[in-house]
This record gives sequence, C-alpha cells and structure tokens, in this order.
Amino acid sequence: MRRTTSTLRLGVAAAATALVLAACGNSGSTPGAADATDAGSSEAPTLSVWVMGDSGANLEAAVKPFTEKTGIAVDVEAIPWDSVNDRLTTAVASGKGPDVTQIGLSQLASFMDGGALEDISGKIADYPNLASANFPSAVSAENLNPDGGVYSVPWVSDTRVLFYRSDILAQAGFAAPPATWDELRTTAKALAGRGEGQFGYYIPQWDAPLPVTYTWQTGTDVMKDGKIDLDTDGFRAAVDHYLAFYQDGSVPTASDFDQTTGFISGAAPMLVSGPYLANAIKEQAPDLDGKWSVSPVPTDSKGTSLFAGSNLGVWAGSKNVDASLQLINFLAGPATQVAWYKANGELPAVTAAFDDPALADDPLVAVYAKQLQDSKPLPISTAWDAANAAILETLNAIALTGADKAQSLDALNQTIEEINAR
Amino acid sequence: MTGDGGAGGSLLGSTAVLHRRRAGVPAGQPVGRRPARRSRLARVRRAAVPYGFIAPALLLLALFGLLPIVVAAGVSLTDLDIGGLGHPDTIRVIGLDNYRRLFEDAAFWRSIQTTGLFVGLGVPVIITVSLAVAVGLNASRSRFFRALRAFYFLPAITAIVAIALIWGYLYNSQFGLFNQLLGAVGLEPVAWLSQPGTARVAVALVAVWRATGLNIIIFLAALQSIPPEYHEAAALDGAGRWTTFWRVTFPLLRFALFFVTVTTLIGWLQFFDEPYVLTRGGPVGATTSVSLFIFKNGFSLNQFGYASAGSMVLFVIIASVTVLQLRLARGTDD
Amino acid sequence: MTEHVVARPSVAERRPRRPGTRRSSRVGLVVLGAVLAVGALATSFPFLWMVTSSFKPPREAVASPPTLLPSSPSLDAYVRLFTELDFTRYLLNTLAVVAIGGVGLVFMAMAGYGFAKFRFRGRGGLFLMVLMTLMIPVQVTMIPTYLILNRLQLTNTLVGIAAPTLVSAFGIFLFRQFMATIPDELLEAARLDGAGEGRLFLTIVLPLSKPILAVQAVLTFIAGWNSFLWPLIIASDQDKYTLSVALSLLNQQITVNPTLQMAGASLMVVPIVAVFILFQKHIVQGFTMSGLK
Repeated sequence: MRRTTSTLRLGVAAAATALVLAACGNSGSTPGAADATDAGSSEAPTLSVWVMGDSGANLEAAVKPFTEKTGIAVDVEAIPWDSVNDRLTTAVASGKGPDVTQIGLSQLASFMDGGALEDISGKIADYPNLASANFPSAVSAENLNPDGGVYSVPWVSDTRVLFYRSDILAQAGFAAPPATWDELRTTAKALAGRGEGQFGYYIPQWDAPLPVTYTWQTGTDVMKDGKIDLDTDGFRAAVDHYLAFYQDGSVPTASDFDQTTGFISGAAPMLVSGPYLANAIKEQAPDLDGKWSVSPVPTDSKGTSLFAGSNLGVWAGSKNVDASLQLINFLAGPATQVAWYKANGELPAVTAAFDDPALADDPLVAVYAKQLQDSKPLPISTAWDAANAAILETLNAIALTGADKAQSLDALNQTIEEINAR
Repeated sequence: MTGDGGAGGSLLGSTAVLHRRRAGVPAGQPVGRRPARRSRLARVRRAAVPYGFIAPALLLLALFGLLPIVVAAGVSLTDLDIGGLGHPDTIRVIGLDNYRRLFEDAAFWRSIQTTGLFVGLGVPVIITVSLAVAVGLNASRSRFFRALRAFYFLPAITAIVAIALIWGYLYNSQFGLFNQLLGAVGLEPVAWLSQPGTARVAVALVAVWRATGLNIIIFLAALQSIPPEYHEAAALDGAGRWTTFWRVTFPLLRFALFFVTVTTLIGWLQFFDEPYVLTRGGPVGATTSVSLFIFKNGFSLNQFGYASAGSMVLFVIIASVTVLQLRLARGTDD
Repeated sequence: MTEHVVARPSVAERRPRRPGTRRSSRVGLVVLGAVLAVGALATSFPFLWMVTSSFKPPREAVASPPTLLPSSPSLDAYVRLFTELDFTRYLLNTLAVVAIGGVGLVFMAMAGYGFAKFRFRGRGGLFLMVLMTLMIPVQVTMIPTYLILNRLQLTNTLVGIAAPTLVSAFGIFLFRQFMATIPDELLEAARLDGAGEGRLFLTIVLPLSKPILAVQAVLTFIAGWNSFLWPLIIASDQDKYTLSVALSLLNQQITVNPTLQMAGASLMVVPIVAVFILFQKHIVQGFTMSGLK
C-alpha cells in the first residue's frame, strides 16, 4: 500500500504544482464573454475585444475616453494576422469568444458562416454612428450581409491604388502615371528595358484580389446569381491583361520579390498596393520623399479597385450586446475615426471622416478617398476562398511554368463548378 | 552485429539492454522474491506499482495524442466545416466521400510525390552529414572541439519564426546574400525559392540545417560510449582508419542509427514547417508536402472533414513505414 | 564480422605504438579541426547574421548589397520591442510554461522507469501506444485537443497552454532506454532495506538519471520556450501570450520591419544558447548513457 500511494502521491504533488503555477498565472484575468457580467446588472461590464495585428496598444489608448465616459472597461486582445483563422475556429468550436471582434473583410464570410456574429439589425437604429448611410456604398449593410440581417459594421477601410516612382517615369519620358491598361502595359515594358534586374511593374504572386479587380475593370462581375462565374469574356480579358506583363518581361518572376524593397530600389517602379506600402516607404526611405506618388488604378472600361479593410461585430451569445454596440458606436464616430487614422495609420471607414483636415490635406489620402468611391470588396462567400486560391494557382502556372492557357482555364472552370456544387 | 562479447565496463548497461530486447525478456522485475508468503492484497498492490508510474504520462498522451486522432477519424466521415462547428445540427455524415475526393485530387497525389522526394533527399543527407560531423567532433576531446559542438547545435534551438526570417533574407532574389556572393565570383544569380526544382532543394537544405544539431549530439554520444580499446585493437590488426570505421565503429552505432533513422523519417513524412514559412508550398505547388496540403486545403479553407481524411491517410502511411522499419531492424538483428 | 576484432582480449594491455604516429595524427587533427571550424561557422552563420542585423536600421537590413556588420549600430529595435510590447509579461509567461514543462519531465521520467524496470500486463501494448503518438500529424489534432481542454476548463490558463505538449513519446523512450541501464541489484537492495517504490524512485532512480534529466530538461526548455500554437489558441487573454506569439504580432499583413523581427528573434534565442552551453556536457553524457549506441 505504501508504495503505491507514495507513487500516486508523487503524481498528485506534481499535478498540484502545476495547478499552483496555473493559479498564479491566472490571477486577475478577465475571461471572455462567457464569464462577463450581465449587461442588465447595475455594474458596468468589462468588454473583451479582439483586434488583429500589432494595433493592440493603440486601441487600448483609443478607447480610454470611452471608458471614462461610460464606465465600461475594455480588455483588448491582439491576435496575429496569420493566426486569425486558428483563433476563430477554436472560438467557434467552443463558443468562447470575445464581446467585440475585428473582422477582416476577407474573413467576414467565415465568421458569419460559423455563426460567430450576433445579428444586430434590431438594435442598430439606436446607434446613429452605425447607420449604413455613413459608410461607402460598397460596404453597405445589404452588400455585406447577403443573407439579410446585420452582422457587422465597417470600421477601417483600405484600397489598392497605383504606386509609381515619378522620378524614374520622368527619366523614361513619362510625365504622368499610366491611366489605362494599354498605357500601363507600354509604360511597364519601356521601364523594364532599363536593364538587367529592372522591371516596369510588379505582380505579387500571392495577391489573390488582383485578377478579380482586373475582371471588375472590364465591367464584369465574378459572381452571378450567388454562384461564382468565371466563364466570361471579362474574366478572359483580365487573364490576358495579367499574363501580358509576364509575356513582355515587365514583371519579376521571383516569388520572393519584396515590393517595399523593389519600389525603394526602383527595380519595380510601378505597382498596385495599399496605404500600408506608403507607410513602409515613409518609414524605411524618408529620403525618397517627392520621388514617388500614387494615382487611381489604370482602367479598362472601369477603374474599380479592391475595397479591403475591417469591420467590427458583436460575438454571438455575448452577454454585453448593448455595451458592445456602445463601444462600436464610439469607434465609428468621425472624431474617433480621425484619431485612429492619426494613431494607427488606418483609413477611416466613415465617409465624413475624410473631410477632417488631417486627411483632406494629405494628397495621398485624396487619391485613396477617390479610389474608395470606386472599390468593391471580394465576394462575401465561404466558397470564394477556395475559388480564389484556384484562380491564383492557375494564373501562376500559366505565367511561370508555361502551362497551356486554354487547358488550364478549362480546368479552372471545372474546379469552380465543383466548388459551386459543394 | 551479434556478439557483444567484448563489452567493456562502460558498456555494461547498454549492452544489457540490447540483450534483453533481443531475448524478448522484459527488464528488471526484481529477482529472488517469492510472493508465496505475501498476502493477496499485497500482491495486487505490488502489481499496481508500475501502472502508478506510467499512469500520469499515459493519461496525458491518451488525452492529447490518441483521443484527438479518434475524433479526427470520426470527423473524416463528415462534411464538417466552419458552419458545422457553429451549428452542429447541420453536420452531415457522408461516409467515405472525403476519402474518395482525396484520391481523385491530383494535388493530393502530387503532395505525396513531393513528400517522397523530400524524404528521399532529406533523410540520407541528414544521417550522413550528422554522422560525419559527429565522427569528426569525436576525434578529440580538446576544449576547442567541445566548443565547436555548440555552433552545430545552434540551428536546432532557434525558433522557426526566426529561421523563416533569416533564410528568407539569405535566399531572397533581390537582396539575398547568396546571390550577392554568387555575383561576387561572377556567377549568375539563382532563383532560390522561385524555381520549382531549386525551391525544393532550398527548402530541404534549411530543414537539414535545422535537424542536424540534435542528431549530431545523439551520434556523438553513441561514439563516446565506444571504448577506445576497440579502435586500438583494430589499429593493431593493421586496419586503416576507414576500415576501422566501417568494421568497428559503424556496427556499434547500429542502435543510434536506427533511432535517428526512425525519428528523422517520421519527421520528414510530416514535413511542414520549412515549406510553410519559406514558400507557403510554392512556387506553383512544388514544395507542398502532404502535411501542407492538409493544412492548406483543410484548415485554411475550413474543410475539416476533408482535412481529417487527409490526416488519417498520412497517419496510416507513417505507421506503415515505421512498422516496416521495425521489421527490417528486427530481421537484421538475428 | 566485427566480433573477431572486438572480442579479442588483452587489447588494453597492448597499448604503446603511440609515439610513431603522433606527428602525423596531430597534423590530421589540426586539419580536421579547421574543417570542422569552417563547418561550424557556416552552420551558425545565419544565426550570427540575425544578431548583427538586429542592430541595423531597417533599410540597411534589406540593403543591396547586404552588409555583414551594421554601419551604424543602433538599439532602436530593442527599445521598440520593450516599449511597444509588454515583453516582461511575455517573458514571465514563457518561463511559467517552461516551469510547468518540468512537471511533464517528472511524468516522463516516471513512465520511462515504469517501462524499463517493471514487468506488467499490457506493457508492450501500452508502449506501442506511446510510440504511436509520435506519428500523428499535429494539425489534425488541434481542434479536438482544444475541445478537450475546453471541457477540462483549462482554456486561458497556463496549464492549458502547456498540457498538450507536456509529455512526449520521444522523451519517454529516452528515459526508458536510460533507466534500463540502472543495475537491478541496486534497486533490489534498496527494496530489501524497506524503501517504498516512490522513495526508491526519488532517492535512487532520479539521482542516477541526472544525465538524461539534463538532456530532457534542455529539450523541454527549448520546446516550452519556442511554443507557439497552443499559447496562441489557448490564451484568450493577451496577458497569457508567450514570447513567440508576441513576436508574431509584429507581422503585419504585408509589410514587415526586418530589424524589429531580427531583434525579437535574437532576444528569444539568447537564453536558450545560454542554457545549452551550461548543460552541454550533460547533454552528450545523457545521450551516451541512454543506451543509444
């Protein structure tokens, strides 16, 4: 008996040590929605909020006035962008989420499909800042919630514009950036002729939205009656446009080409990217100031670009729906939106915020704002991710390994059919 | 190797293990203890002792190692996706459909081929390199040689996040150091991570670099457990260094070799980290291993049923290869 | 074919014959040392480059042609790490995870001892089960493991973070190999003296197992230190993040600051190097005696 028990005791002791350690680590924590105080009680609740990337500290600072005014405390948790999907999946599986979460537009469909978001359509009328009219029509409530209801509201916006090195273009005899597809192609080809290792344009091989925006620019949509449809002249024209840069030798074929470095060094003097690139250039190469600028994306029959950005939503089953909406309402206020732009560099989602001098006086922001007027988010559908991966793989195979175009596109359409049927 | 007749004092323990294993005799039940006079209860208690020792670890392994795979086996028969996780009532049992789809998926077969290629490339290289370095490091016990060990072990202890960063910068086609060095000696730059062929080699190289450290230590330890008398005897017989290595050292390393081969093989069959962080499986799918295929098609796109089916297939492959190895090892043992 | 060389007795006595070969073997040793040193440099070069890069301004880190040493070393990246991220907190969490890993170490030692020194029903089958867990791809077990931890109320605790990787089949196997070398007579003598099994384990087996404990301690330390997946998923509170998760927060969607990341990575790796250098003698010794010959 003694032997057995002492062995057991050892195990128990070990387990106890672990528990004690755990208890130490656990003290003073504020769990998520599951344990949060009921909104109905007199005490102000603590909201847990998920924010993506490294903006956690900035958000904590940004919500201070909110907490002072309402007494509602906010507990911010930053989640690495790469790991959002893991966190979402496990939270959906266990039902343990935050109260409020940031949702990248590209992930909105997954969040909604998993039932992670609360339908706030019944309450939204009480919060003036959340009215659909405050936001660009691309992210209107109807567009973001194809199945009805309101599951999220826009928070920050982001779009793609043409970045160009004005100094290099001028040297090559181009006074203005290309405004059309044809101009883009000829300019890129001319600039690529500058010598070995020099290119005219850059196509990120991982950039899934690019071929979609090209399709939009022909005036064609990639969805038809709720199904993905790529068997269109518009898509085929977009593919030709995409591949043309490779045929001309205007773009790097290296998959690890770094756009920031390439733009700063001048190896890729033109490329389509977002405001984050502007921030990176300013930080890494302040001496380049005045030698580069941005303009709206070159057009075919239209100049549509990508509407990216993030929304905010209330986690399904949160016990603090009202407090959460108060917070979201606060974050969507024009003044908060401007403050957020100043602190974190992310563009407002609220149209009115662009009138603030901090934004209106910035020539880059003027271009972003103009482009946002003609931008669309990717289709809000869980099938889209698989389809977009297939598009990218097909295009890269044709461009980089010389796969037969007609055959590859046939195979792509077949894959799309399978995805639609799933 | 059959006779360890020459086992010296320091070898006593380990050869004893080998002996027991070969004879199929479990180690160490205390000898000379007749249970005749002990009560029944005492015997039950006594029998419970070993279970008490293994219980905590086995419980944890069962909970976090085996139970999940059982769950995964069940999930592989359903169409579970993110919607199903949120609304369990919508999950449908679809039998073997996921497996059918998997075997019809050209990309899956391609990932199996790719994994096979990585295994064929990586395993022999790792074993050869780490054995060679270990033999070299074992040539002297001087402070200098001992200090060198730490350098070889460095890659093994560096976090994968850091590894991705460093090697990404070394390989980079624009500003990478490797291409600069090639340029300095007048060679054409290489598209390290952008050409399917070179990308595979480049990714495998990083994995080799990262895996050798631990294996070097294991081989080194095995080498140091060989008494120097063996080598001196061989030298006396007039055997050259090369002959001595193959005839004396190498056979004595059999168990270490076996151990390293099994763990390395399992590691490479699950090859994931390096292609994930360096190429995300590209260019054009050239470095997509089975693990990465499962991850990309399953978890990035939230098709958990499909991904679980892929994992079950991978599990079966790994288990069969390992069993085959054990068989082979046992076969040559006699 | 080996045994007739090996089994020859009286080898040890016939030792001399050294002086003649000394010179040539000395030269050989120097050449070998040089080759190994070059190899060691090549192996550790990426690592050294990471450390030097962490002192470069961001632009120089991706400059073309690259520089080996920073032209104007700066500590900016490190300052940013400590000011913008709550690094002290993450460091403490990481240490706590590593400490809990120590419990796993004891569990593995116990299991290794059980498998090595006892004969019991189901031993072969149970050991096979242990080995089987080596073959399971991690990705697939993520969600089920999370649900189990959730059921056990361990989400958002440091124990929950450490639990899934607390014991490893690899570790149990090495402990078993090592402990099989402990002479039975020693244990038997203690038993006859009336020592209980638990005390026997604590006072005889564990002290004798120091080398393998050192090996496992280092491996456990490395694993806990670099752990990423579980801290990320189990911690629903940023207060519980470990260093590697915090580092990945620095990853923006598209642009990264190379210097900042290099600094973070360097900061993470230095303590492990220290631990390794401290334990390195024991590590080789531990493997030596674990019967891995």
